[in-house]
Parts: sequence; C-alpha cells; structure tokens
Amino acid sequence: MITLNHVYKYVNQGGTRVFLLRDINLSIAQGEFISIMGPSGSGKTTLLNVIGMLDEADEGDYLFLDQNVKAMKEKQRSALYKQHIGFVFQAYHLIDELTVYENIETPLLYKNYKSSERSAMVCEMLDKFNMVAKKDLFPHQLSGGQQQLVGIARAIVSKPTLLLADEPTGNLNSAQGQEIMELFKKLNSEGLTIIQVTHSEKNAAYGSRTIHLSDGRIEN
Amino acid sequence: MLRNYIITAIRNLWRNKFFSFINIFGLSIGISCCMLIFLYAKDELSFDHFHEKKHQIYRIVAEIRSPDGKVNKESSTGMAQAPRFEANLPEIEDAVRMELTDFHVRQGSEVIEQSALFVDDRFFSFFSFPLLYGDPKTALQDPHSVVLSEDLALRYFGKTDVLGKTLQLKAGEDFEPFVVSAVVKNLPANSSIKADLFASMKLQEARQGGNLFWMNFYLNTFVTLREGTDLQKTEAAMNRVYNREAAAQISDMAKHYGYNEKVSYHLQPLLKMHLDTDYPTENGVVSGSNPLYSYILMGITGIILLIACINFINLTVARSLKRAKEIGIRKVIGGQRKSLVMQFLGESMILSLFGFVLAIALTCALLPLFNSLSDKALSFSYLLDVRLVLAYIALFLLTSFLAGFYPALVLSAFKPVETLYGKFRFTGKNYLSRGLIVFQFSLTTFLIVATVIVYSQFNYLLGFDLGYEHGRVMRVKTPKMDASQLEVLKNELLKSPSIQTLTAQNGGQWRTIAHVNGDVEQQFDIRGVSGNYFSFFGIPVVMGRNFSAAFPSDSLNSVVVNESFVKAAGWKNPIGETVDFFYENRKCTVIGVIRDYHYSSLLEKVSPQLFSMNPELKYKQVYLKFREGSRPEAIEHARAVVRKLYPAQPYQYDFLDDLIAENYSREAKWKQIISFAAILTIFISCIGLFGLASLSAEKRAKEIGIRKVLGASVSAIMRNTTLDFLLLVLVAACIALPLAWMAGNAWLQNYPYRISLHPFIFVGAALAVVFFALMTVSYQAVKAARSNPVKNLRTE
Repeated sequence: MITLNHVYKYVNQGGTRVFLLRDINLSIAQGEFISIMGPSGSGKTTLLNVIGMLDEADEGDYLFLDQNVKAMKEKQRSALYKQHIGFVFQAYHLIDELTVYENIETPLLYKNYKSSERSAMVCEMLDKFNMVAKKDLFPHQLSGGQQQLVGIARAIVSKPTLLLADEPTGNLNSAQGQEIMELFKKLNSEGLTIIQVTHSEKNAAYGSRTIHLSDGRIEN
Repeated sequence: MLRNYIITAIRNLWRNKFFSFINIFGLSIGISCCMLIFLYAKDELSFDHFHEKKHQIYRIVAEIRSPDGKVNKESSTGMAQAPRFEANLPEIEDAVRMELTDFHVRQGSEVIEQSALFVDDRFFSFFSFPLLYGDPKTALQDPHSVVLSEDLALRYFGKTDVLGKTLQLKAGEDFEPFVVSAVVKNLPANSSIKADLFASMKLQEARQGGNLFWMNFYLNTFVTLREGTDLQKTEAAMNRVYNREAAAQISDMAKHYGYNEKVSYHLQPLLKMHLDTDYPTENGVVSGSNPLYSYILMGITGIILLIACINFINLTVARSLKRAKEIGIRKVIGGQRKSLVMQFLGESMILSLFGFVLAIALTCALLPLFNSLSDKALSFSYLLDVRLVLAYIALFLLTSFLAGFYPALVLSAFKPVETLYGKFRFTGKNYLSRGLIVFQFSLTTFLIVATVIVYSQFNYLLGFDLGYEHGRVMRVKTPKMDASQLEVLKNELLKSPSIQTLTAQNGGQWRTIAHVNGDVEQQFDIRGVSGNYFSFFGIPVVMGRNFSAAFPSDSLNSVVVNESFVKAAGWKNPIGETVDFFYENRKCTVIGVIRDYHYSSLLEKVSPQLFSMNPELKYKQVYLKFREGSRPEAIEHARAVVRKLYPAQPYQYDFLDDLIAENYSREAKWKQIISFAAILTIFISCIGLFGLASLSAEKRAKEIGIRKVLGASVSAIMRNTTLDFLLLVLVAACIALPLAWMAGNAWLQNYPYRISLHPFIFVGAALAVVFFALMTVSYQAVKAARSNPVKNLRTE
C-alpha cells in the first residue's frame, strides 16, 4: 500500500544542510500495524507527516496505493489523504468550540455527506466508543482519555484505509493508554492499517512490526 | 456545513466576549457614521423634488456686469419681470413672484411680528403645496385674503378649520382685516420655500401704484416653461424683451445715478436651486447648505468607516493566533483553503451583522446630535426608503467583505504542520498592522491639533476687544421716531432705575457712496445716530468733536467718520473736509473722527464708516444699558413703556452680546464637528492599538516568561513592551504635526483677526496622543508582566 524510496527531507540552516530524514526506504502492506520508535529528534513525527501527506519529501518517491504522491498537484493530494487517511494527535487537537458530536461530524461535512448519512455515521461512532451520553459535552469537560477517544472517533468516522497516530497515549496515564492501545488492536483486526509513533516499548508491542529510527535513518 | 460555521462563529464570539464587543462596537461606529451621511446626502439631494412640475420650473436670476468687468450674481428680480416676460414669451406658461415681508398681527391685546410671503395668486397651482382647506385656484384672488399653514392656524385659532376667519394684520400704516381663504399643509422640511403666512401680491402692487420697475432686485420670480423648450433661446428672448421694454428705465438710471451696469437674465432650474452656491439665497428662499460642509462631513465619515474596517482587520488577525490550532485541525480533517476562506468571510459577515444592528440603534440615538450639527431635521422615518435600504445593504456587504477578506486570506493560509506542532510563528514584522496603527494615530494627532486650533480661534474671536462697550446692552425695536418722539421715549424709559442710559439709531446700516476730494467716489457704511451714540458705546473721538446741541447745523450738515474712512480718502486734515451726497444734492462737512471699532463680525476688516444725524433718517432702534443684575426689570419696564407709547408696535428686543456671538455661529458649528470627529478617532485608534498590543503580548508570551524566570522585574518587562508602541506613535506624530500646521495656517488665513500658532499646541497634541497610547498599551503590558511564566513556557 505504501512505498517510500530513497526519501530525504532536510532544512537549510545558514550554510549547512540539516537532514530530518535520510535515505528512507520503506514498504507497508495493507492490514499491517506498524510502530515507529526512536529517540527524540530522530524524525519520527516528520516521517509520519510525510506519509500522511501533511509534509513533502525533498527527494525520493512516495507511492501511495500505487500512485506517485510527489508528482501530484495539491488538490489531488489533499483529495487523496482526505479519502484514505485519518490522523490522531498526541494533543488530541479537538475543536474547542464544538461538542463531541460536532467534532466527530466535521470531517463528514467536509466530505459532503448528506445529513441523514452523517447522523448515522456519527451515532455509530458514539455507540462504538460508548460516548452517547457525552455527545453534547465540550472537549474541556472531558478527561484526557475521553478526548483522545473523540479524536480517534473523528479520525475513523469516514472509514479511512490508513490511520496515523502520533504518540496517541503520550498525554494519558497508563490505564487510559492501555484502553487506547486495545482499541487500536481491535480496529486493526477489523482491517484498518495503522502506523503509530511511540516512545513506549509496551505500546510498540501491540504492533505487528516495529521500525527504529535514529538521526533520520532507519536502523535495523 | 453552514450550521457548523455559524455555531463555531457564534461560540467563538461568545468565548472572547471582550474582543468581540470591541470589534463589533468599533465597526458599528463606522457604519453608523455612514448611515448618517447617507441620510444627509439623501435630504440634500431631495430638496424641492416633491413639486409636480419640478422639471418645468425655473427661477429667473440675473448677472450684473459692471464696466470694470466685475460680475455680480443676483437671485432676485423686480416686479416687472414676471408679467412682462410671460406676456411676451409664449414658451413661458406661467410666472409667479414671491416677496419676503413682515406683518404685525394683532392677537387679543398683543401685537406680534409674523414673517410672511407676498405671492401671486397662481402660487398654489404653480407649486405643489397641498391645501387642507380651500381651493388653490381662488385662494389668493382677493387682495385681502391670506393663507395660513396648519401650525399657524393652530397657533392663532386653536384649530385648523378656519376658513372665513378674520385676522387683523398691519402691512402698511394701519391694521386691516384679512380673511383666511385657505389653510395649507405645513411645508415639508426639504422645501427651499418656507413660510407660514401667504398674502396676495396684488396688495403690494396696489401699494406701489401699479408702476412696474425693472431695475431693482428684491423678490423671487419663478416661471414654468413648456416642455422641450430650448433654454438658451428663451434666455436670449428674455434679454431682448428686457432691453426693449426697460429701455427708458435703463437710460434713466445711467443718467441720474451713474448706473452703467449691464444686466442679463438667466434661468436657474428649480432642482438646482438648493445646492447652487453661485447665486445667493434670500427673500423667502431658505438658505441652501454649502456643499463644502457636505463634502467635509462625507470625508470625515468615510475616513471613520475606513478606520473601523482597518481595526476590524487588525483585531481579527490579532486573535487569529488562538484560532491557528483550529485552522490546522480543519485542514487535517479535510478542509481546503476555499472552505476556510468561506468560513472566515462568513464569520466576518456575522460580526458585521451584529455591528449593523448595533449601528442602527446608534444612528437613532445619535440623530438628534447629528441634526444639530448639520442644521437639519432628519427623522428616523427617513431611513425607510427603498433606495436607502438598498444602500445600507450594499454598505453591509461591502464592510463584511472589505473587513473580512484580508483576515480570511491570511488565516486560511496557515499550515497544519506548523500550527499543530507549536512551530507556528506569525511571520514577518507585521508591517501592515503597524502601518495601520501609524496611520490611525497620525489622523488622531492631526484632529487633536485641529480641534485645539479651532477652539482657540473661536475663543479668541469671542473674547476680542471690539473697541466699544457691548456688555449689558439691550436693543429694542421701535416704530419710526423723530428727535422729539425719542425724547419722550427716553424720559419714560429712564424712569426705571434698572436702565442707566440709552441711545438710538436709525435701523441698521447700509453701504452707500458719496464724492470726496472733488468727484472721487468713496464707498462706506452709513449710520444714522443720535447725539450721544459714541459716548454710550465708549468710542473715543480722536480728532475734532462729536455732534453737539451747541451747533444746530450739526444735524443737517455735519458728519463724523472713522479712521478707516480718513485713510481711504487719503486725508491729512480730515476736519473740515467735504462729503458730497451728490444724488441728494447735499454737501456735508466732517466735524470729527472716531477710533475704528469692530462694528461687524471679526471675519471682516474694519471698513470706512460715516455717521450722520440727518433728521430724514428716523430712529427705529434704541439701545439701553441696564444695571448689573437688573436685566429682567429692564426687559419688563421697556415692554411696558413701548406698550404705553406705541400700542401697535410688537415688542421686540435682543441683547448685543448675543448678536455678536451669532456672528460666529458657523465657527461654533465647526468647533462641534471637529471635536466630535477627534473624539471618535481617538476612541477608534485606541481600539486598534489595543488589538495590536494584545497580539504582541501573545506573540511574546514565551519570551516574557523566559525573562521572568531569568529575573526580570515587572517594570522592566513593561518598559520593554511599551517602548515598541511609543516608537510607532512618535512616528505618527512626526508625520501629522507638519501637516496639521500647514492645514491650520491655511484655515486661519480666512480670518483677518487670528491667533498665532504656538509650538505648545503641537507639542501638547503629541503628548496627548502618547498619553492615550500609553493608557491603552499599559493594560496589556501589566497583564503580560504579571503572567505566570509556567503557563507560557509549557510545550506540547
């Protein structure tokens, strides 16, 4: 599903070139549960952003579902990731002015689903995560774990093929974190491809494969 | 989708109540100003549009060309033009004349003065002033009929159904009965013709013995032209008729009075009358406003709206830091730039809508103040006009778009990678916002200086020593009196201890000419006065002597002149010089010279003046000096005396100090307008600066947190944050002060007597602006300095 060939990403600081990603070669098949691990500054988040098409590689190829992402225009690219990719952040990043229901609904609005369809899909999510009673609450009224659940619900409500998670349990305590990881496992078994970035060995163990990054390079 | 946007927008507004309120309020001020100016323009442009025949009605005006090339424009004619032009020119369908006059009306035991218009009997069919009662075709056929307005009928009779009732009016020498033949609806506010009482022109014609004189200019003549008439051909035809029929009168004027001016007649369209500044407005036509006022008012409101929009942009972009995260999120979950632009434009529309609603409320509240500033009587119902409503909708859309577009563009460009991972920094040195602040504060400084200058000049004019004593002086109008009647009146008046002295004058003064130094023509203002005039007003006689009873020939042959007269005539020894009133065949001798004093407004330099005790000039005014604190007694005593001696004379009085202040009513208006504009601009500029200051504080929150941790004190941090803005304001002051100096100088050139511009004014204005800026910024500075560094240094 995903292939990265000789991907480089760098920034120019003064006269020197600082590499964020060095010669990344990676292949990910559909249905896998990948964990990306590495110390701080190793480029994990950058790699995730490149895969998620939020950022661009400076050199190399990126093939997503056999399509060359780098060669695509902005419009095509955003259409692609809108359709296939959901993102979960460490800081949840919910829209504070919207309720739980509205937060989950928003991506469906951007995809122009009809009102009745939206209603069905959101309710399904709320049910699945046992959040029906909380649908009219605002993010600041929820605990960290609950907010992350909303973030995940929002990411998968439009049924993406790929879920990217950047340290999803980073701001949670161990009990909440475990709950999230169990959920990921379940989603993966239902067919969702998941790539997560994590610090924790314990979390990484939930995955089918682990990739280690160091200084922008894949270690093996 | 729309619902999502609206919910987000409204909840956002609610969460930032203070900012939202400032934003909305600032915008509503700008919109409100625009609404008021639309009202004003609509009113100005609508004058006289209610007449049915408006496209056919013209006023006859005259251009008077003197042999030396000077052209004088008159908006009036004599009695002859209307009937003679109508008789000779088939394209003139109808002609009416209109003359301003005063009647004395007897109401019970009181006599009051009522201004009125003499009009030809077709007046009410010619103009569209609908009658409540009576027939427009017959209303003024009888010379002893009158037409009252609704208001006047109520005032005199307590009801409007007054056909057939009688009024005792004195037009000439005696009171005569006049019958009310019609009642007209109150004339609309936007009519150039305003009156409450109409009488028949036939009465005037009879009093003048049927002699139709061409060569004076004192009444208005209106004509209706047939449709499709060529204006120029008609004007040429009119002038031919004039030159033919008035030939005898023209040559007579030239022979006996040396009147060699050439008169030509033109047609002024009715609809152009109100806004035309070429021709003077007088004789019953209400003064048109000077378009200059309109332009300036429009300019000021345009600028205020612009500033309000600029502030809106500034404040919205300033708050955008808080929205950065949301923008990143929306982009990640599928929002494209276009949808985000729509979202933010929509938000600005919602904000504008609130601002608009508030503006309507503000406009209604401000309407009375605006009416007094603009000399109008606009009412709220004026707002309900289709064209105006459309204009307001256009204004609303324009404002939303103008104010919302730039922020929408900027905000929708944020990259999710930057905003979500805290790498977001508001790029650039924010030149636009800073530039806008400089612009606003330049304007504020300019207006503050302008206000101070206008105030100073106004107070200077009011406090100027006019060279004569005008305090505690009351003026009372009397019927024509000769010297002996004046004695009688004087003795009666002085019976009360409240009145100290009095003097008398014949009416006002007027400009005339005489010959000096042989046959050199000298122009001057002439006044007829009683003997103690100069001592009453404390005007010193600097050469020769005053009029004196010891010289009985004084009253016929002596005149007193002022210093300007002497200078204009070029006399070294004025005493004994001759002034030849050649057209009256009377030669007078100068017996004294008085010091120049400012008898008219300070807007003019002192002109040559001449005083005479000629008994032909009967006294029509007395001046009374009343004792300190005895004003009410003086008023009552004078009323009683006038009633006793002249029961048919309405009692009219005023105070010299009030009359003098009225001279400067225009300046008073300027004062109001400019201070109003200055206050608004200060307020709005401070709003703008507040926004920028808070943006800066948010930007630097992290930096300030670090400084605090490293040991910086609150005052050090405050100094740090305010210095930045001080610089901006000083730049603004440097730009504005020279401009203000130039503008102030130019304005002051209009006044022969003016203040000088002290540097203190400019320094003071700069200090004031800095003060306002500091007050605004200090709130943010204190807040930033006292913030908890821990909160700001947390990283996600």
